[in-house]
Amino acid sequence: MTQAAHDEPTVKMGLPMSNGKLAMWLFLVTEIMFFTALIGVYMILRNGTPSHAEPLRWPRPHEVHLDERLGALNTFVLICSSFTVVLGHFYVIRRNFQRATLLIGVTLALGFVFLGIKAYEYKGKIDHDILPGRIGESLASRKDDAGKEGTLSPEKERLYHATSIDYYERVRGQLKEIKDHGPADDKHVKECAELLERMNGKDETVDGKTRYVSPIGAPELGERVNHILHEAEHDGRTLHIAPTVPFGNLWASCYFAMTGFHALHVLGGLVIFSIILVMGLRGKLGPQHESMLELTGLYWHFVDIVWIFLFPLLYLV
Amino acid sequence: MADTHTLAADHDDPDHHAGVFKAYLIVFIALSVFTAVSFIVNAIFGIGSVTGAAIIMGVAVVKALLVGFIFMHLKWDWYKLYFMILPAFIVGTMMIIVLLPDIVLAWPH
Repeated sequence: MTQAAHDEPTVKMGLPMSNGKLAMWLFLVTEIMFFTALIGVYMILRNGTPSHAEPLRWPRPHEVHLDERLGALNTFVLICSSFTVVLGHFYVIRRNFQRATLLIGVTLALGFVFLGIKAYEYKGKIDHDILPGRIGESLASRKDDAGKEGTLSPEKERLYHATSIDYYERVRGQLKEIKDHGPADDKHVKECAELLERMNGKDETVDGKTRYVSPIGAPELGERVNHILHEAEHDGRTLHIAPTVPFGNLWASCYFAMTGFHALHVLGGLVIFSIILVMGLRGKLGPQHESMLELTGLYWHFVDIVWIFLFPLLYLV
Repeated sequence: MADTHTLAADHDDPDHHAGVFKAYLIVFIALSVFTAVSFIVNAIFGIGSVTGAAIIMGVAVVKALLVGFIFMHLKWDWYKLYFMILPAFIVGTMMIIVLLPDIVLAWPH
């Protein structure tokens, strides 16, 4: 029996490529599905906004404090890192391990630059309170450029009403914080204090007649908060008050989901590059690591491709 | 690892060595230029322009193809991997197409 088995011709199964590379591509295919779902949902939600006219349309990048220059810089940083990693693999094949180590070090540094810029952007979102569930959705004026009134279905009006109540109370707390802790003679602090007062109903006496003045509604509050924020930004100040941006919460959820998962992938790549760099610095990088570098490179290029699509979708179009 | 050497074959061949390096460098420059093009197109057409969006997304597709085919070696490995990659894109595109009318039509215009 044993002899017979030995005599059988060896049949090579599978694709003409290494198991590691095949496994990496299978993993990347699942990643394609994952990011396609994220980006696809973003496109569907974005195109699902009721109007392309102001204000009932998807938020523009500047309205949610997105700077396309930072996005373009991060794109360039990732492109540079893709170039250095592919050269790192190139030099490992050429048995120039010293140069390969240097290039992996540069890739690692570029990855950290990318995450640093991303962290700076996230800090901006936190400072401006552009976070999921915290943004106001209703504005007093719903007229587009042609003067046509934007309308929502009663169901969506009710939905926004619930959001508005939360927003109203959140802004009340934020205005109180500014009023209590800001310099009393500052014009922006004064504006905040005035607005805070208008959020409470009061009796007002005009020509000897007393009448009750109702507190302002959420849509009007949104308009006035946006006005205060605009004025403060013009003066180079950042006030920690949640703005009102129609579809802002949906935008923020999409933004943090897509860029957050992408940043996690970048972080995962940097862990592997750190291991390769340490091996290189200790002189342990050898021909046996050719495959490791190639597979890590494949993963890193995929992360680059995802950002190539996220950059225009979030910052440009 | 023999399959990965399709691009980097003949370790000792200096012409091949230079050719591969040149290919990587050209792709890197092209990617950088395309990024600048996207930025400039956005500045010219502005946000919300259909023409601008079409150009920018077209440029993004070209950039992704360059990274995939040259940096990820799909130019040489495509015939071994297309059966895995294509279905993922087909199903992903179908998902968007199928769901898009549902939510878009849900809004009163």
